[in-house]
Amino acid sequence: MKRIKWSRIYFGFILVLMYLPIFYLIYYSFSSGHNMDHFEKFTFSHYQDLFNDNRLLAIFLETILLALLSSLIATIIGTFGAIAISQTKNKKGRKTLLALNNVLMVSPDVIIGASFLIFFTFLGIGLGFGSVLLSHIAFSIPIVVLMVLPRLKEFDYSLVDAARDLGASTWQVYSKVMIPAITPGILAGFFMALTYSLDDFAVTFFVTGNGFSTLSVEIYSRARQGINLEINALSTIMFIFVMILVLIYYVITNHKTHIGKGRAQ
Amino acid sequence: MSDIIKLNHVRKEYDDGFVALKDINLTIESGKFYSLLGPSGSGKTTILRIIAGFSEPTSGKVFFDGDDITNLDSSKRKINTVFQNYALFPHMNVFENVAFGLQIKKKDKQEIKMAVKEALHMVQLDGFANREISELSGGQQQRVAIARAIVNQPKVLLLDESLSALDKRLRKDMQFELREIQKKLGITFIFVTHDQEEALAMSDEIFVLNEGKIQQSGSPVDIYDEPVNDFVARFIGDSNILSGRMIKDYEVEFGNHRFECADAGIKPGEKVEVVLRPEDLDITDIEHGKLRVMVESQLFLGDHFEIKAIDSDENEWLIHSTNPTKIGKEVGVYFDPEDIHVMRFGESEAEFDKRLEAYEGEE
Repeated sequence: MKRIKWSRIYFGFILVLMYLPIFYLIYYSFSSGHNMDHFEKFTFSHYQDLFNDNRLLAIFLETILLALLSSLIATIIGTFGAIAISQTKNKKGRKTLLALNNVLMVSPDVIIGASFLIFFTFLGIGLGFGSVLLSHIAFSIPIVVLMVLPRLKEFDYSLVDAARDLGASTWQVYSKVMIPAITPGILAGFFMALTYSLDDFAVTFFVTGNGFSTLSVEIYSRARQGINLEINALSTIMFIFVMILVLIYYVITNHKTHIGKGRAQ
Repeated sequence: MSDIIKLNHVRKEYDDGFVALKDINLTIESGKFYSLLGPSGSGKTTILRIIAGFSEPTSGKVFFDGDDITNLDSSKRKINTVFQNYALFPHMNVFENVAFGLQIKKKDKQEIKMAVKEALHMVQLDGFANREISELSGGQQQRVAIARAIVNQPKVLLLDESLSALDKRLRKDMQFELREIQKKLGITFIFVTHDQEEALAMSDEIFVLNEGKIQQSGSPVDIYDEPVNDFVARFIGDSNILSGRMIKDYEVEFGNHRFECADAGIKPGEKVEVVLRPEDLDITDIEHGKLRVMVESQLFLGDHFEIKAIDSDENEWLIHSTNPTKIGKEVGVYFDPEDIHVMRFGESEAEFDKRLEAYEGEE
């Protein structure tokens, strides 16, 4: 009994420790002062400033557009990549492909960002929306691959034989049987890629040119100029936005796995 | 009846060098129920996959209705399969599963509806169209798998160990039903199984396979009564197999006695194996018996007693009897000359048939 209680207190402490800075930041976004020394009066003025800041709103929308577009493309490429990896018959080849995929996942963002910068300059690709989009797609693909692969491992390949037996073409096998069966994994990959793209700073910082910026980069450059509670308000909105995404992700995956489990019996 | 499928010198060798099939030749007539019977690894499923088009033979040809289909994609063959684990599409309900093949063929919606309804009726699943696959029992899933295959009106239906996942009682029911469906549709069924009882009960004709070769083919009765070698004799039913020696036509020696038998065409003095089925042996008193044995054990199996006995030469005898006896008692064993089946070592099925014809012609 006592042990359970201690473990709960410990767990609660860790949670508070992790979320405290965020809530501290959110708390002061409602303060009428100009810094976070002490809370003055409750106000929405920072939010009003935010919504009057056209540049910031444009960046916000562009960030979302970037995230949606990059994760959509990454999901398509990553899904077919995962299918290709799972169908690689040669064990060594499959392991190598998977290792190459995982290296991209664990290598530091700064290195990835720097290498993209060198790469784009070398190819003469101008920095801007396009370069950021390309790099976001690139670092999202391994995430999608990792989310889709387990589903493919569970996938019963006799379903492919069954579909062919019933007259399905190769394309119909994919579109009518395989893709629907691994949809939960694809959705999970998409939402993961979406959050990665939304909150990425390091890679984006390297490849944004002069004209284009994402929220993370904008917040960083504004924070450097001195504390402004407008940034708190912006961070709060982003935090809530990501929370909603995570929530959607959980609802979808829980719903799907529930059905999946029920059907497996 | 016409030949629908023909396999000519089919050989299958996998990349790792394993030879699954060695020179398979078989002819399947339309409208019959066939079984491919063999232990696991005998190549029976490989034959099925080659007929279905899921795998290609290393060499040899496959003919369907006279056309060479060796390299034809499985989606273009007029053959459908009921898979071992059913392979129903989990994200579709019963109707969508059964309708899959017709929808691929872009059939008219109303037509599909009618056909699916009819197919579900055939497998006694009326009113199940809107159920999810997960809501069905194993036996019902089995029926959906059959309906999904027959709705396409194939000329040949392949069934891969389709009943092995069901419990014993359900399996018996399904055996009858499958036979009924086959008769109603009048199409060819090729059933793969390792269960000899199942094969004997359902088939018009059985191919017994072992180590990538057809050991024997024929009607269930032929295969049971006249196994061509000791593999077939052991694999199908229980049997007493003894080594012996042919004395002359219609006389064979085993267990240090000479017996009248029904086999001929084997040269005198040749070493042979003799098969006696346990249900052909009758327990009688010592004077009337052809053999004298001591009862070692007795098991009651419901419809008969399984008795193990030993003769003076230490040969063990398996006897099925409807009446019990006593353990430790000396009894006589009686059998008719026709109950003895003589097998030559290394005799192929073709040679066996030839010999049979030769001496049956004499009579």
